Amino acid sequence: MAATEKVGCGLKWMAGWALLAATAAPASTWYLTVAGLGGDPVYVQRFDSLAKELDKLVRTTPDAKVTTLSGGDATKAKIHAALEEAARASKPEDTLVVTIIGHGNYDGQDYKVNIPGEDVTAAELAGWMDRVPAQKQAIINTTSCSGAAIDMLRRDNRVVIAATKSGTERLATQFARFWVEAMRNPEADVDKNEMISVLEAYRYADKRTVNFYESQKRLATEHAMLEDTGKGTGVRTPGPDNGHGLLAGQTSLVRFGSLQQAAKSPEKQALLKKREEIEARVEKLKYEKAAISVGDYRKQLAALLLELAKVQEEIDR
Amino acid sequence: MKAVFAFALLAGVLPGATLTECREHKRRGRLTEERTCWQALAQSQNPAWQAEAAWGLGDYTTANTLFRNAVAARGKDPELRVRWGRLFLEHGEREEAAKLFQEALELSPDYPPALIGIASVASGRFESKATELAAKALEKDPKLYEARELLARLALEEYNEKGAVEEADKALAISPEAMNALIVRATVDWLNGKPGTEWVERLDKINPNYGEGYALAAGIFVINRRYEEGIALYRKALGMNPALLHAKAELGVNLMRLGEEKEARQLLEECYEARWRTPQVTNTLRLMDSYKNFVTFKKGMLILRVHKKEAELLRPYFEAELERASNVFEKKYQLKLTRPVQLEVYPDHEDFAVRTMGLPGLGALGVTFGNVVAMDSPSGRKPGSFHWASTLWHELSHVYALAVTKHRVPRWFTEGLAVHEETAVNKEWGDRLDPSTIRAIKEDKLLPVATLDRGFVRPSYPAQVTVSYFQAGKICDYIDSKWGWQKLVDMLRDFSTGKTTVEVMESHLGMKTEEFDKEFRTWLDQQVGGQVKGYESWRKSIGVVGAMAKEQKWDDVIKASEPLIRAYPDYVDGGSAYELLADAAEKKGDKAKATSVLEAWAKAGGRQPETLKRLAKLQEEAGNKRAAAETLERINYIYPVQDEAYHKRQGELWLELGDMDRAIREFTAVIGSNPVDAAGSYYNLAKALRAAGKTEEARENVVLALEAAPSFRPAQKLLLELSK
Repeated sequence: MAATEKVGCGLKWMAGWALLAATAAPASTWYLTVAGLGGDPVYVQRFDSLAKELDKLVRTTPDAKVTTLSGGDATKAKIHAALEEAARASKPEDTLVVTIIGHGNYDGQDYKVNIPGEDVTAAELAGWMDRVPAQKQAIINTTSCSGAAIDMLRRDNRVVIAATKSGTERLATQFARFWVEAMRNPEADVDKNEMISVLEAYRYADKRTVNFYESQKRLATEHAMLEDTGKGTGVRTPGPDNGHGLLAGQTSLVRFGSLQQAAKSPEKQALLKKREEIEARVEKLKYEKAAISVGDYRKQLAALLLELAKVQEEIDR
Repeated sequence: MKAVFAFALLAGVLPGATLTECREHKRRGRLTEERTCWQALAQSQNPAWQAEAAWGLGDYTTANTLFRNAVAARGKDPELRVRWGRLFLEHGEREEAAKLFQEALELSPDYPPALIGIASVASGRFESKATELAAKALEKDPKLYEARELLARLALEEYNEKGAVEEADKALAISPEAMNALIVRATVDWLNGKPGTEWVERLDKINPNYGEGYALAAGIFVINRRYEEGIALYRKALGMNPALLHAKAELGVNLMRLGEEKEARQLLEECYEARWRTPQVTNTLRLMDSYKNFVTFKKGMLILRVHKKEAELLRPYFEAELERASNVFEKKYQLKLTRPVQLEVYPDHEDFAVRTMGLPGLGALGVTFGNVVAMDSPSGRKPGSFHWASTLWHELSHVYALAVTKHRVPRWFTEGLAVHEETAVNKEWGDRLDPSTIRAIKEDKLLPVATLDRGFVRPSYPAQVTVSYFQAGKICDYIDSKWGWQKLVDMLRDFSTGKTTVEVMESHLGMKTEEFDKEFRTWLDQQVGGQVKGYESWRKSIGVVGAMAKEQKWDDVIKASEPLIRAYPDYVDGGSAYELLADAAEKKGDKAKATSVLEAWAKAGGRQPETLKRLAKLQEEAGNKRAAAETLERINYIYPVQDEAYHKRQGELWLELGDMDRAIREFTAVIGSNPVDAAGSYYNLAKALRAAGKTEEARENVVLALEAAPSFRPAQKLLLELSK
């Protein structure tokens, strides 16, 4: 009984959030993408094209504020200026997404991103991001040695993703290209909610990176990490067992589809509320799966899913 | 070792034992006396004798230490190094043994026992120099009957019974008590179904407990793929002398090969406990431990063992091919197997190597032990480097060839049939004519058919095993084309009577093998002569065309590539003229040309998954969905792992084409790939199942899709439709 009450309470809270979301000014997502020095022409071309593709992809998100710096533009001053602009103009309900593509280095003390002119350190990036009011933040550092920057970049309400587990993984990484692929591939949207979260993109890119090394029969020289508790050193596979992934799952990277439009229609809000209630019951049932028989579980699940489908049909009508 | 010394002191036996005495007891098979003698010798003040005593008592660790000490004290003594090397050799540590024999040779150039030692190391590695080294030892010491014994054994390993008998007789002429020569003579009789009484009686008079000899004979039977008889001989060896741990280990390994895992494990664990911890024993036990990660599926007479991490994905493909190949072979070889066939698929090539170690020519992708077939999983190799289905057909044909001949088929013939079967099932399968084979043909290095076995067992140049596979396959192709398939089956049956290659060839083909070789070369020249002749110009030009492509001189690439394809059409690996031409055509906007070139590449045996995907895309863009689906289907037989996207696309194409069975197969494969997009994958499968009229299964899968993503609208719609 207590569990039911707790769920009921949670639903009230969710419904309240839905109403708030429908009436409040739309939140923005601030995207800063930096493609650092390539050195070798192959990397120059690769980093530049990844940054361009990312730029194009994130611009499809409603209310996106996009800054992309690559080649000669990816200087320390311009990175600082872009984050200062976010610090000045963003709101707490906004989201900040910083993506670093390129080579990094770690000398045992400081992690730096290789950019034209003076390199930028993890401490400098962290300091500039700390000034941004947007409460949800994510930094996706796809460079070599990026694991060394996790400690410096982590903070409450910030997801830190690194392509490598430490500063000793120094070879050029593959993670960035699979990260960009995640953002354009609807398959990365595993829960089919028309939004790719940071967690979904991380899992997609990590799996593709692991597959890349396995299929090439090469020793993996990068092991991506995710930290979103503000306390840890990062984990390879975020999940309930290690307490990672909650914030990353709630942080949207790109959105597509009509969900936002439906939420703005007052007559549909009752149906949306009902949908959320059923979704919560589905989640609860999944949580209780181990405690009930397979047959009962399947029966109850099928019934709930059918009910949910009917509600969705009404919403779509 | 301390305990052994203490026992010797307490027993107070043979305080004046000498090494010669102990060896004589050993030689005569007086096991109790031998052990007592070693115990006494262990008290000697002579470090070398102490080492020999520890070795004789089975304490290899102490023996190793004592030999090290002895060598340190007598640094200039080649004999000590040879004995120490022998200890390593017996323990399967060939590298260490070879170093010590080499050191002995540095101290005393051409020292015959060291030459014999190195020859034994080379023999264990199936290197051709083993024979040369043994012959060299004989030059230095013509009375060295051990060298003759080694030559006899080497000949037997090459299936050269006549040569083995000659060498054994020469050894016996030097020493009538050359026990290994007697064993070789007996083994030749046993291989031919004779009792070998004369040799056994003579041996028994010298040593009634000569288990080592029976272990040697067992090894020859194993090389001849007559595993069960080999196992029986290992058992006999152990019955005579239970302390023969190397025989116990071999018995364990060979039982494992035949799927008798319980007894195999017990024997190997006994070896391990007795500190016989050779790489063979420890690796095999480790492999057996890993079997908990495998799952076994049984379907009629077919058993499939696959690693659980890829079982769901691979099972449908492997089971289908196993079943198809069995049905085809049952008809072709006119034989119904009476025992189940077990196929084991290893994702880790090292595990596969452990599973198969100890046999020659196994750089290999698969190996057959009677009715057990072990092979690499496609995930164990780089994409495009391995056609697993071709390997499966190859190995399964061995099962039939071995069964038909009761394991008496010569190596070249069973390999030839197996290679023949690879392309008989599908011309695109099987290996192509590679540069090393072209060089061998040009340099006239193909072996006469009468001695072709040697190319498999003891290659005289690095590529000879590959070349021998090619040659054997082509010989079977030739016989099939000229005399028909039944001739090959008749020959196969005749091998079961114990006839030699020469006898079978001459009686069935009506010509001397020398004549056959001549005719075969003429036929082969018609088949591949053009490529052999064109190879040199191809080799010189392919790099130039590659450079043109880098400079984006597409017109030049188009002009230069086509003659290269004509010169060497079998070259379909990375950087082939096909791909260069396709690239150039596409850059020039001629997608139709690019498509036709890549189609020719695929038909010629091209198997790079990425290039096949590229071809499928071109075919799809041209509106030819069936061709695209069939192109993607080729990847199923090459690298169906770690790539859910191509399974998905293939499934979608089959769905559009209305081929629901194939669509279901591919969408099932997507789910077996542990996809990121579980919901989408179950949804696709549900769609195909629904289209196939399997409503209830479709409903189950759409529920699974929605379990992963409850708000997945297309799946919701499908659920509503299925619930009406």
